[in-house]
Amino acid sequence: MDQVALDILRDEEVVAENTPAATPRSWYANVLLVAAALFAAVSVGFVGTIFWSSLPTWVHHGGTLLTSSSWVSPAGPFGGLAMISGTFETSIIALVIAVIIGLGTSISIVFFIPRRFRTVVATFVELLAAIPSVVYGLWGLLVIAPWMETTVNPWLNKWPFAKAIFGNSGQEFGTSLLLASVVLGIMILPTFVAISREVIAVVPQDLQEASLSLGATRWQMIREVVLPTAKIGLFGATFLALARATGETVAVALVAGSVANAQFHLLYPGTSIAAWIATEFGEAQGNEISALMALGVILMVLNVGLALISRALVSRQRKVLARV
Amino acid sequence: MERETEIMTEIQAQPTTTITPALRGPVAMQLRDVAVSFHGRTAVRDCSFDVVKNRVTSLIGPSGSGKTTLLRALNRLHDLTPGAKVSGQILLEGTDIYRGNLTVTELRTRVGMVFQRPNPFPTMSIYDNAVSGLRFNGIKKKSLLDEAAESSLRSAALWDSVSSRLKVAASNLSGGEQQRLCIARALALEPEVLLMDEPTSALDPVATLRIEELMTSLKSRVTVVIVTHNMQQAARISDDCAFLLMGEDRAGELIEFDTTEKIFNNPVDSRTLDYTLGRFG
Repeated sequence: MDQVALDILRDEEVVAENTPAATPRSWYANVLLVAAALFAAVSVGFVGTIFWSSLPTWVHHGGTLLTSSSWVSPAGPFGGLAMISGTFETSIIALVIAVIIGLGTSISIVFFIPRRFRTVVATFVELLAAIPSVVYGLWGLLVIAPWMETTVNPWLNKWPFAKAIFGNSGQEFGTSLLLASVVLGIMILPTFVAISREVIAVVPQDLQEASLSLGATRWQMIREVVLPTAKIGLFGATFLALARATGETVAVALVAGSVANAQFHLLYPGTSIAAWIATEFGEAQGNEISALMALGVILMVLNVGLALISRALVSRQRKVLARV
Repeated sequence: MERETEIMTEIQAQPTTTITPALRGPVAMQLRDVAVSFHGRTAVRDCSFDVVKNRVTSLIGPSGSGKTTLLRALNRLHDLTPGAKVSGQILLEGTDIYRGNLTVTELRTRVGMVFQRPNPFPTMSIYDNAVSGLRFNGIKKKSLLDEAAESSLRSAALWDSVSSRLKVAASNLSGGEQQRLCIARALALEPEVLLMDEPTSALDPVATLRIEELMTSLKSRVTVVIVTHNMQQAARISDDCAFLLMGEDRAGELIEFDTTEKIFNNPVDSRTLDYTLGRFG
């Protein structure tokens, strides 16, 4: 760490010498450099210890973690399939909900809501992101879950086709993967709207006017010029929302049911990686700690990957707009 | 006293501050006391003149004189601007474009527009750009689209250089080619009038020259109204010329309208002369 700090200091000196009016480095520059070096060290240490703690699981039970859905505490085996599949199922359904509602919201905010209400609506939607996730979880559990149990569940089970897909857990509290998906969908909506609204709003005005000048209706302009031009950025918004959904913990832990059971019947209770780590950590010992750390590594890689894809897409969108 | 009333009536009957030259042919668009305001603040007013068919009419004047604002009123592009209001009358073949029996989309297919910045649709190919107007208007038949693509690209002097790469993204073209594609895109709808808002201001001199040649060659089939900052350009390519100037209340107004030759050689108003001689602006 000291070596890093020294290297940074040396570079800084070279720059200082080359600048015409070289001034001696002041004490606060040193403080800032130490802080930066400390931050780098903490980050490396953080990621390193998580990898290190998960190492026994990867070496001895890596196959079990990825393929088995049986998690027996405290002796093992520790299979993570239920959490991994639960994460993907809930996140993807949540994403479908958020993209459909969110895209409509963003288009309305940019094109249809009168100017003076625009900021109010946009701010309101984005403030939803500031609500702590435990509140969403509580709301899902106390308001949506009973409604799912008494209305949605029986309704879906009226049709054999729907029953085959969703299953019928007969669960008393209404917690299920579907409920977790709905709550997640509402939670990631502000993220998606904030970015997609921005991406749509910066489509150049003269492209829009060009389409209108060719006799396009407003709706044609949106569908055939604005959305295609904003497409890459909209995918960026989608991936960022997905990253938020996969990482969400408390709300899923409250409403998914915390059952390590890998299946695709969405009305059954299940869990996600993040929620499972949160609910199991307290009583974990030995190998189970290592297995939870390994799940943490999977989640971390997944989230960082999604965030990187999102950033790459948004910056590519910027390049597309710079070219037009 | 009686004489005074007579003069007053005469002044009121005449469009103010305007000299409409004797018609030199059938009229494509007529402007009568056109004014545009935004949130009650007038941006341009007192514009009355005729756009004669198969001629190039240029709108010149210094920044802030309302040239572009006036041009955009001619195909109702101000419709979506909050607080914008167009008053007076604008007639296309005798039909009031704001109050007459003409939908805004129909108007825009008859009065096309080319913008300051070359702005082909970035996600569309050259071909798709050329036929985009037809597609917006519900034409789907491939043979019709192919035909229109070729003829409009030929009219814009672009066919020979792009016919082998019609499916390539329009963003691969040079700036001048992109602008000609935008002209082709507008021509595909076979408009009666083509509005051009400083179409060469973002182009190099060679590309500018090609667009100017193009405008002259297009005259036989479309009436052109062009806004330009470049007085030499107005002198080179336009037949009629409207000179606008910002008044004391910061609203643009029409100072003089006549043939380009008259405006540049023998204008009535001394301000016109000062401007065309480059004494201000």
